[in-house]
Amino acid sequence: MTPRQRNTGLIATAVATVIFITPFLYIFFMAMKTKKEAALFLFSWPSEWHFWANLTEVIQARNYMLLLAYFNSTVITVGAVTMLIIFGAMVGYVLQRRQSGWNRVIYGLVLAGLIVPPAVVPTIWVLQGLGLFKTIHGMVLIQVAYGLAFSVLLYRSFIGTIPRDLDEAARIDGATPWQIFFRVILPLLKPVTVTLIVVQSIAIFNDFTNPLYYLPGKDNVTVQLTLFNFQTQFQSQFNLLFMNILLVTIPPLLVFIFFNRQIVAGMTAGGVKG
Amino acid sequence: MRLIPSAALLAAFSLVAGLAQAQTVLSVTTDGNAETVAAMEALTAAYTAAHPDVTFEIENRPGGADGDNLVKTRLATGEAGDILQYNSGSLFQALKPVENLADLSDIAGQANVIDSFKSVVTASDGTVRGVPFGPAMGGGIYYNKKIDAELGLSVPKTWAEFMANNEKIKAAGKVAVAQTYGDTWSSQLFVLADYYNVQAQVPNFAADYAANKAKYANTPAAMAGFQHLEDVFKAGYLNEDFGVAKFDDGVRMVATGEAAHYPMLTFALGNIKQNFPENLEDVGFMAQPGDDAAKNGLTVWMPAALYIPAASENQEAAKDFLSFVASVEGCNLMIGANGATGPYLIKDCALPADVPGAVADMLPYFQTEGLTAPALEFLSPIKGPALEQFTVEVGSGIRPAAEAAGLYDQDVEKQAKQLGLPNW
Repeated sequence: MTPRQRNTGLIATAVATVIFITPFLYIFFMAMKTKKEAALFLFSWPSEWHFWANLTEVIQARNYMLLLAYFNSTVITVGAVTMLIIFGAMVGYVLQRRQSGWNRVIYGLVLAGLIVPPAVVPTIWVLQGLGLFKTIHGMVLIQVAYGLAFSVLLYRSFIGTIPRDLDEAARIDGATPWQIFFRVILPLLKPVTVTLIVVQSIAIFNDFTNPLYYLPGKDNVTVQLTLFNFQTQFQSQFNLLFMNILLVTIPPLLVFIFFNRQIVAGMTAGGVKG
Repeated sequence: MRLIPSAALLAAFSLVAGLAQAQTVLSVTTDGNAETVAAMEALTAAYTAAHPDVTFEIENRPGGADGDNLVKTRLATGEAGDILQYNSGSLFQALKPVENLADLSDIAGQANVIDSFKSVVTASDGTVRGVPFGPAMGGGIYYNKKIDAELGLSVPKTWAEFMANNEKIKAAGKVAVAQTYGDTWSSQLFVLADYYNVQAQVPNFAADYAANKAKYANTPAAMAGFQHLEDVFKAGYLNEDFGVAKFDDGVRMVATGEAAHYPMLTFALGNIKQNFPENLEDVGFMAQPGDDAAKNGLTVWMPAALYIPAASENQEAAKDFLSFVASVEGCNLMIGANGATGPYLIKDCALPADVPGAVADMLPYFQTEGLTAPALEFLSPIKGPALEQFTVEVGSGIRPAAEAAGLYDQDVEKQAKQLGLPNW
């Protein structure tokens, strides 16, 4: 390593630290302050540490709403991401392996799913007609519908890099089509799957507008909606708001730290090929 | 032997079923303001104590544009629950009340509601669709009593006196007027809170304005609000960071004496109470002064209302609860939950004697007939969506007042056409 390389690396690390750590520190400090001090919005060391008081107040707010929200959000995220991966990979596999005249049409529809913005009121009518409105599984299906196009796209291009010979070898060894997909192809898709898990679970966990419109009801609250316990147009309790943000940020952060290496591998493996 | 337990089980089961049938659960949607939640919890708890067969599920929605969209979406899909808390005035008209909300004209509680409030929740077919929830607010100017006492100033009755006071405050090296254009909505106060003065000079302004006969640009009294914004900027009375400061900063400045004046609605008292309780008595409140000291009065913002969505399946129970909210008992429960930050629009509902100083400053206006006027958005269905952008421009010296008033008239035209008003 030349001195120049070392210096560039050090500078890059320092800049990245400032850019990524500063907002976290700000949230952390704000979450520790008293209401009065937090209302000043200063990037400063808290004069009194109110960690425990703020934490218990946030968790107990509105009859332990945050805990229920964690549960709901986790169910929605895990359910939706599981379905996204299985169905996305299946559709991508068929689209890539079976060439037919319909492929272009289907691919066009998948792209349309990515391009056309969903309309809220007609979607609610559909959900009401199916008896899925205001239910957690209805919300899971909404997230799957919104995310499926992206995952099909990603899987299809990645499956293109897996040689057909593998399918054929498995076939000759006597594997059924289901076995080929689940035991040969799906394990090979791990880099894309990890990318999808991270991208989609963070997007779904952090989603605010969709649960707001499609999942009304006192017991159907999700984590992002709990922020409105402390933030209103005219009067906000910023210390509790930031404590809530801190608590809500932790699960996605854990996902990211846990899968960090696979994400990078997945991005470089799946993203480039067209 | 085997019959007895199953018979007992059956009896127990039918008892449970009978109870479940008699039980009514009303779902309530309110905004998430701490005061709204406290008042609603007090009201529902008291009502359930008196009527054990009715219980409530309270859900909070966000405020601002998200909240508006949410309420409209839920009404359009018939999922708005049994009771809905939402703004009165022009925002209420935007909900299409004739189609979406139940008619509350003849519920018992309406007899207690003050007429001026009924007019802001009356649909286009003349029926009343809501009952008041919470206190009325005044729009005017907060002032710091300590600075006034230090410099020997008195509360001004005319705009000229107000500006003279500002000059003295500036000469003493203090910030005369706090402005917080970081929250753009807060920039509209000088224009909106000037409406009492507008109607004192041009009594027909609201009707003529809605009928496209009067304009801001050609009514000097109406343009004064824009002019005030320009004047305080040009004279250099503002805080240095007026362009980025937020509502919370403005409240802090006037409460702690960093600034002498802050134009705002009276709900800011809740913020002072929460963040600066020891400064609560340092703050006074005055109506926005106009040209004539003899015609000094307050522009009033009506409180939000409770409505019953037309799709609700528990109309009777919900109506009975709303009658309770509009009673003197309901009013006292709300005061008990939040203290008094303004007058409640229920007949015979008296405020306690120990109100904060700023509220005490506001009450005399309400006690004399003719010293208050509702803000324009409660009298006319049109309020241009871009007003806050224009007021920020004028208040930061980017655009002259006359030009902004003309542009605002054009902005209003779009909305009037959308609403399909005659004569536009």
